[in-house]
Amino acid sequence: MSFTRRIVCAAAIVMPLAAAAQAPSGKLTVVTSFSKEVTGPFKAAFEKAYPGTTLDVQNRNTNAGVKFIEETKSNNGVDLFWASAPDAFEVLKGKGLLEAYKAKAEGVPDKIGQYPIHDPEGFYTGFAISGYGIMWNTRYVGAQKLPEPKEWQDLATAPYFDHVSMAAPSRSGTTHLTIEAILQTAGWEKGWGIVKAFSGNLRAVTDRSFGVPDAVNSGQVGYGIVIDFFGFSAQGAGFPVKFVYPSLSTIVPANIAVVKNAPNAAAAKAFVDFILSEPGQAVLFDPKIRRLPVRTASYDKAPDGLPNPFKFPWVANAKFDVDKSEKRFQPVDALFDQLITFQHEPLKAATKAIHEADAAIAKKPNAEASKLVAEARALIAAMPVNEAEAASAEITGAFTGGSGKEKAPRQAELEQKWAAFAKEKYAAALAKAEAALKAAR
Amino acid sequence: MNAAALRRILAQPGQALVALAVALFLAAFLIIPVITVMIAAFQPKGGSGFTLVNFADFFATDLFRRSFFNSLYVSAMSVAVATVLALPLAYFTTRFDFRGAVIVQTLGVIPLIMPPFAGAVAMQLLFGRNGTVNLLLDEAFGFKIGFMEGLNGVIFVEALHYFPLILINLSTALRNIDRAMEEAAQNLGCSGFRLFRRIVFPLAMPGYVAGASLVFIKVFDDLATPLLLNVKDLLAPQAYLRITSVGLADPMGYVISVVLIVASLIAMYLSLLALRGKDYATVQRGGGGLAKRPLGRGDAILAYGTILIVLVLTLAPHLGLLLLSFATIWSFSPLPDGFTLAHYVQVFSDSGQYIVNTVLYAGLAALIDVVVGTAIAYLVLRVGVPGAKWLDYAATAALAVPGVVLGIGYLRTYFGVTLPSGQSLAAFWGMIVLALAIRRLPLALRACTAALQQVAASLEEAAENLGATKARTVRRIVLPLMTGGLAAGFVTSFATAAVELSATMMLVQSSADAPLAYGLYVFMQSPAGRGAGAALGVIAVLIVGVCTYISNRIVDGDMAAKAGAH
Amino acid sequence: MDRTAAFQPVDITIENVDLSFGATHVLKDVNLDIQAGEFFAFLGPSGCGKTTLLRLIAGFNTAQRGRVLLGGEDVTHLPAWKRDVGMVFQSYALWPHMSVAQNVAFGLEERRLPRDVIAARVDEALDIVNLKHLKDRKPSQLSGGQQQRVALARTIAVRPKVLLLDEPLSNLDAKMRVQVRRELRELQQALKLTTIFVTHDQEEANTVCDRIAVMNDGVVQQVGGPMALYDAPANLFVANFLGTANIVAPVREEGGRAVLPGGVAVEVPRGGARLVFRPQNARLTQPGDALSTGRLRLPGEVVHREFLGATIRYGVKVDEAECLVDVPHLGGEAGFAIGAKASVDIDRARVLWLAA
Repeated sequence: MSFTRRIVCAAAIVMPLAAAAQAPSGKLTVVTSFSKEVTGPFKAAFEKAYPGTTLDVQNRNTNAGVKFIEETKSNNGVDLFWASAPDAFEVLKGKGLLEAYKAKAEGVPDKIGQYPIHDPEGFYTGFAISGYGIMWNTRYVGAQKLPEPKEWQDLATAPYFDHVSMAAPSRSGTTHLTIEAILQTAGWEKGWGIVKAFSGNLRAVTDRSFGVPDAVNSGQVGYGIVIDFFGFSAQGAGFPVKFVYPSLSTIVPANIAVVKNAPNAAAAKAFVDFILSEPGQAVLFDPKIRRLPVRTASYDKAPDGLPNPFKFPWVANAKFDVDKSEKRFQPVDALFDQLITFQHEPLKAATKAIHEADAAIAKKPNAEASKLVAEARALIAAMPVNEAEAASAEITGAFTGGSGKEKAPRQAELEQKWAAFAKEKYAAALAKAEAALKAAR
Repeated sequence: MNAAALRRILAQPGQALVALAVALFLAAFLIIPVITVMIAAFQPKGGSGFTLVNFADFFATDLFRRSFFNSLYVSAMSVAVATVLALPLAYFTTRFDFRGAVIVQTLGVIPLIMPPFAGAVAMQLLFGRNGTVNLLLDEAFGFKIGFMEGLNGVIFVEALHYFPLILINLSTALRNIDRAMEEAAQNLGCSGFRLFRRIVFPLAMPGYVAGASLVFIKVFDDLATPLLLNVKDLLAPQAYLRITSVGLADPMGYVISVVLIVASLIAMYLSLLALRGKDYATVQRGGGGLAKRPLGRGDAILAYGTILIVLVLTLAPHLGLLLLSFATIWSFSPLPDGFTLAHYVQVFSDSGQYIVNTVLYAGLAALIDVVVGTAIAYLVLRVGVPGAKWLDYAATAALAVPGVVLGIGYLRTYFGVTLPSGQSLAAFWGMIVLALAIRRLPLALRACTAALQQVAASLEEAAENLGATKARTVRRIVLPLMTGGLAAGFVTSFATAAVELSATMMLVQSSADAPLAYGLYVFMQSPAGRGAGAALGVIAVLIVGVCTYISNRIVDGDMAAKAGAH
Repeated sequence: MDRTAAFQPVDITIENVDLSFGATHVLKDVNLDIQAGEFFAFLGPSGCGKTTLLRLIAGFNTAQRGRVLLGGEDVTHLPAWKRDVGMVFQSYALWPHMSVAQNVAFGLEERRLPRDVIAARVDEALDIVNLKHLKDRKPSQLSGGQQQRVALARTIAVRPKVLLLDEPLSNLDAKMRVQVRRELRELQQALKLTTIFVTHDQEEANTVCDRIAVMNDGVVQQVGGPMALYDAPANLFVANFLGTANIVAPVREEGGRAVLPGGVAVEVPRGGARLVFRPQNARLTQPGDALSTGRLRLPGEVVHREFLGATIRYGVKVDEAECLVDVPHLGGEAGFAIGAKASVDIDRARVLWLAA
């Protein structure tokens, strides 16, 4: 441990009360996946509020950040971990790398609708909320004479084929939450049906969240399923894009946590308090940031046009069982990857055939063809495991390692099984759809 | 090791020491860190103990098998396309009095430098489905070409990206051919392409194979390009995706990495086999090198034309990068909406430190590479210390190790070691330099090996006969004769180190220590930062371009001096 | 098989050739006529331009001025691969990636001859140089002498109009040199090929060649047969280069006569010339011996002597100059001792006056 840190620790032990009353100062090291546009204004505001502090911001993508904290725990030099979705925080929490801290913040509710804002055990704290929606490039859409979307279901319709992009839930915690929300609202079977239906229209499944708005901004793809601030910040930067919240969406939080054995724990906690305070929350209004505050009172002073998620009509009713979500977190990721991401070509082919069959039926209604199309759709929507199985110890154990059971399947085996399942079903769906097309002609 | 070999080694303690030093270097900065991470491939998930069941799973999984064959296919095709691009440039610049020769050789290196993220965006904006070329094609002719789609898209981008490796190695080999070989053939009636095919190219084969095998392995192990194109059924991106998933303690990522390493080593071994017995060292009579002929009219048009096409194609991404750095908004249109200098202003005010760091890190890394590469090449080709070949294999294996694995390995191995200043060893910027050096070593090693192969052993023996020690001989005879190859190795190491990101990202711990690539990454995280990221990318390319040009001038002047007024 | 059947040697003409490399003027106004079927030598010291001239004929150099004609045809601007002149390089330049047979076959393949003809000609060429048994070896497995023969066979196989040899014997040991130069001569006579032989060794040039062009500093000094050059050199350089020559400068000149060391005065054909004579054209006499007519005498002192078996070579100091005199050694004669006074006795008819 460095000399300075020894002093701080000794002081903290000997004079706990004095330490608590001491103003924060010194260097504060933050590992974050947020861009400079976000961290900059917070840094400026915090350093102004607490002169004598300096924020040293280390940008890393989420995964690198988590691994870094893991590898450097023996001589930890990081005070705060600051990222979007909870999954990274859950990993760190599970490995005992975070310190529980209940922020001193008034006016911040525990939940928004059914969705918790903070970790119930207090290891990480939500400081901003965002919603998921659809973003599109107006030039692309105009040039190809495509429609403007309103709802998720729109994305599954024929005109959108090969024009949409989204990130894989395994690579983007926020996208995962969106998928999970669909599964919880519509139910396992129907939910996956919806997801597969619009996935069949995807041009690409990206491996990082920012890949989606990036492609939409460049005009390489027409529509993207994105978190709202990607849409807003792109507009703010001048790109020809538009954004819409569907009427049923997801709330995704952004979080911050204090790392265990933080070198400057006092300042770290002060920072957490700060960003939940009124001036801290006001920073979110910066046009380059455009995140939504968790402090309900802040909305009174919000700039025009900023939505208030606490008042979204669907929020109060939206169900979200956090435990359920966490339990089947990895199986859902793996299911998506094996059934969709890595079988994308067959899925697209089957979906395209279905669209063509639909178009033919619309011109010349045909009962047999309609039946075949329905069967094709069902084949696509079919799942290799039901909800209970997906959450079972056997399957979740395969992913975390060590379900304890002798005959338990390994992750690779499960993945191969699911991949084979998908391949077979999509091929069958393609055959049915082609048969339908033939029948309708 | 029998008594005779032992005696031989003890008789030349200097060489044994060098071998030992290199072995320690590789062990400390490559093998041990990698093993600490890859060991997970041999352990059951979440548990400990040794098992090969993960490898059985690998071969049983359809996705992985498919990825494996796709990777082989893509690598082989990339070599083919890269050869088509490199051959005319190498041929024209080394065989003719080509005024722009040095410029061409310099520009030929630039495609190696594809700044991360920004380069990808630029490529999409030019060649993507709705990029410049396709928008214009669609408007004019009503069709689009899928440059960047699927496996063929990967082949296209990889060939453009890596063809300089073949160009550089081939050019060096061509420059070193004894002129009399060519004249004897001309004297017997052979000329033009036949001459090239029957005499010149076979003699340049060692250089070509060095470059081609390097391209094959690099493409096989490349994950950045497939991910850029969203092509995921190749081995390297599969490994990367699994290793970098948050939370999933998945051994398969490391299993795939092990498969990558083994496959790369096998490829290297095969290429060495192919070259066995083709020891074409020619005694340099005052330099030699192919006679440079003046360019006839018809030839000139052909030459300039071909070179122009190749250069335009391979530099297009950088042109795109340049446009992007000056662009206000560029979205779904052949050209940006407007131009501005604001990005450069922003970058210059922020990034002086990044530039200094980049030149320092990349320069040091390239230097280390050339020194270690020459040492290994010498040990393998001349000394025959038992086990020297394994040093070669170990160094080349670094190609297959994903940068993130190396970064994690360094943290795992060295974070606990504290320097006297209280800082952890892993946080010291020297570790970034070492990570860059290790990842680039395979390229430099191949260049040094090819260069040494073309220096006849008799030239060294002559020096020793006159009383020079091994060390002095190396310094005064061998190294000067290897200048071309050494420069090539330095340049490729430097160029690629200047834009490396994956290992850097893990190891950088304060922005004062960060190189350009890192600054670029930070900018590219938001839509408004695109222009600035591109500006930084352009600066990186310029830095490398200037250094390459200088080094090529030095080499050319050196060769001219050696050739005299022949 | 009639080996001479398809060889059609040509004459070579070099006209007013000037060649410079950058600022260095390497060939200065060279004019040469080489007869068809002649064994011709370019002889001269290092740097005289002989190799440059050879390469000019082969087409590897371009002259700034002048013409090169092969068999009357102007080939000055014809590229090397169209000239059909066979060249054997000093380093042999055998291609290491091809076997001996493949090396030899190369030129024939370039001429698109049918396969069986190529095979037959390869065998024939290797037969001529006695290397048929090595045809599948690689060049790295051959000795220097064998490599040279392969290079020769490779050239002969295509039956060129002209054969150019760039210092072919310089890499061989002394015994091989004698043997190989004889073989080259025999070969050339059998094939009646116009052959040019570049060398710096006058013995080689003298023993095998029909005519020699002596070159120095880019200028052709003299062209002629070996004996003619030896007996009647055109200038001091040629005299000195071919064989040993004694050069005596007159002490002074007065009125068309030169006064030699020792006081003898003789008529000189032109001013500023030096007296030149060969060691074997002089005798050593006692100072008091009678002077015969038609002979010249230079008084001096013996300063060294070498017993060479058939001759004794004396070094005689005449004033400041030292002259070499070769005296046949007839068994039993003691000859002159070192330090003895002796006069160099020269046949006037065999004396040359050459400009400095």
